[in-house]
Amino acid sequence: MSSQLSSQLNKPATQTAGAEGYNFAYLDEQSKRMIRRAMLKAVAIPGYQVPFGGREMPLPHGWGTGGMQLTATVIGEADTLKVIDQGADDTTNAVSIRRFFAKTAGVATTEHTADASLIQTRHRIPERQLRNDQILIYQVPIPEPLRFIEPRETETRKMHALREYGAMQVKLYEDVARFGHIATSYDYPVMVNDRYMMDPSPIPKFDNPKMNQMPALQLFGAGFEKRIYAVPPYTRVVSLDFDDYPFEVQSWEESCSICGSDHSFLDEVIMDDAGNKMFVCSDTDYCRERVEQGFTAENPEGQQGLTPEHNQVQQENKKQDDTKAEEMAL
Amino acid sequence: MSVQVNSMNRGAVRSDLLMTGFDDAVQDAQKVFRKVLKAMSEPGTILTADLTDKTPGALNKSSWEIALTLFDADTKIWLSPTLAGDDAVVSNLRFHCQCPMVSEPAEADFALALADELPELKALNWGNSEYPDQATTLIVQVEAITNQTQDNDEGWCLNGPGIETERGLTVAGLPYSFRRDLVNSRKRFPLGVDCVFCADDQLVALPRSTEIKPSDSEEGIRNTIQQEAN
Repeated sequence: MSSQLSSQLNKPATQTAGAEGYNFAYLDEQSKRMIRRAMLKAVAIPGYQVPFGGREMPLPHGWGTGGMQLTATVIGEADTLKVIDQGADDTTNAVSIRRFFAKTAGVATTEHTADASLIQTRHRIPERQLRNDQILIYQVPIPEPLRFIEPRETETRKMHALREYGAMQVKLYEDVARFGHIATSYDYPVMVNDRYMMDPSPIPKFDNPKMNQMPALQLFGAGFEKRIYAVPPYTRVVSLDFDDYPFEVQSWEESCSICGSDHSFLDEVIMDDAGNKMFVCSDTDYCRERVEQGFTAENPEGQQGLTPEHNQVQQENKKQDDTKAEEMAL
Repeated sequence: MSVQVNSMNRGAVRSDLLMTGFDDAVQDAQKVFRKVLKAMSEPGTILTADLTDKTPGALNKSSWEIALTLFDADTKIWLSPTLAGDDAVVSNLRFHCQCPMVSEPAEADFALALADELPELKALNWGNSEYPDQATTLIVQVEAITNQTQDNDEGWCLNGPGIETERGLTVAGLPYSFRRDLVNSRKRFPLGVDCVFCADDQLVALPRSTEIKPSDSEEGIRNTIQQEAN
């Protein structure tokens, strides 16, 4: 054996920043390889659920273990990670997962959508249009869109194999018969590349149109159910509907109480015992960005009230985005 | 006590042929994986994987790096005859990846082949309709890959998931029958074989979801497809 080889074998696996005693990004290399192989198959067959050997993560199932395993597998030293929970960067789940990777992988983290190369998300797609050099990783509780219609995995496998999706149309029809409209408002089933029916994870259907032809790669990880699926960039994703009951997204009469946005997904917040409430953007980073650009609840149009400084901020943001995109392209 | 020697265990690792793998097994594997992920999710995009100086035997840089990144004791590997007969290749794959080698391409999770020794496409595992992910991934070492499709008669126009409008790709040196079978195999989606073509330190992927349209000059394939349609 050459001396070069033995010196390599005696070298610790990695000397990069991270928690002592753990591999880079927590997962061991063999698990990562297994997940990487599953991920490549998921990308090759858009919307199809690839089974994988889900590992135990140091937090309970239901807290994003599927998404975390994908993030741990994809992430590298050069990445900047953003984690959102229902659109917010500052909720418990988002904060703990972000800190977990800051600690175990030593990577940079951010709350700014534009600065992130990886975004792990629970139940939202950022309002800001994602770029081709970004990857969006969804935490998925139940990956099988047909599960509540057909509990047997052997049967749902067959239904996917035969592209037998009539049962889902019946479910949506029952909504129409009972409520007069399609009442499904989240977890709204989509067809990927005209072949596989896919559960987009419990994002509001408001976000469904963003999945269609998205420039970023979308990866989905279900830890408890041990499934990985994916939508490559620029892939056709169509929400199910009927000719006479076309797909529609939620809309609000109110606009955001902070930034005045009338086009983003709004959270309803109860203010007091009297039942007073306010509506705010669910995407905290988008709201912050708009406030920085001079949009307010009183001045939702932004433009008229914009001072030269605000215009400058806006232009600089755009410039930063452009240079970032150029750098990534290189 | 006698020890039964399995035929697949012939050709033990030759330590005199071993060479170093990645400088940093963890970080380098991650970097190569991201290239392969990018290649697979944006078919026809040519990427460079240049993290190793030397490669064992007939392996080129990108195929060696993909092997170090994705192969392990859980993946059955089929090697085309020249590679299978190359002690340096077999010893290093065994040593670094601990991967079992199989003699039937249909059993392989990964098939690694030289362009002039490709197995018939139908000899590989295409997966089954309930588990199409169980299909073989085919890694082919080729002379050259380019997005130029002019001035040659092997050009492809690619369409499908991961491609915004369309993308041209020419993989030089693939046998005619293989190109024809690959174009035809698209009819059986979601069954199929996912291909990665490696030229020196470059790689490009063609997952089964990509539609392949042979360039105008590729009359032969067009006619064959036409005949089969009729």
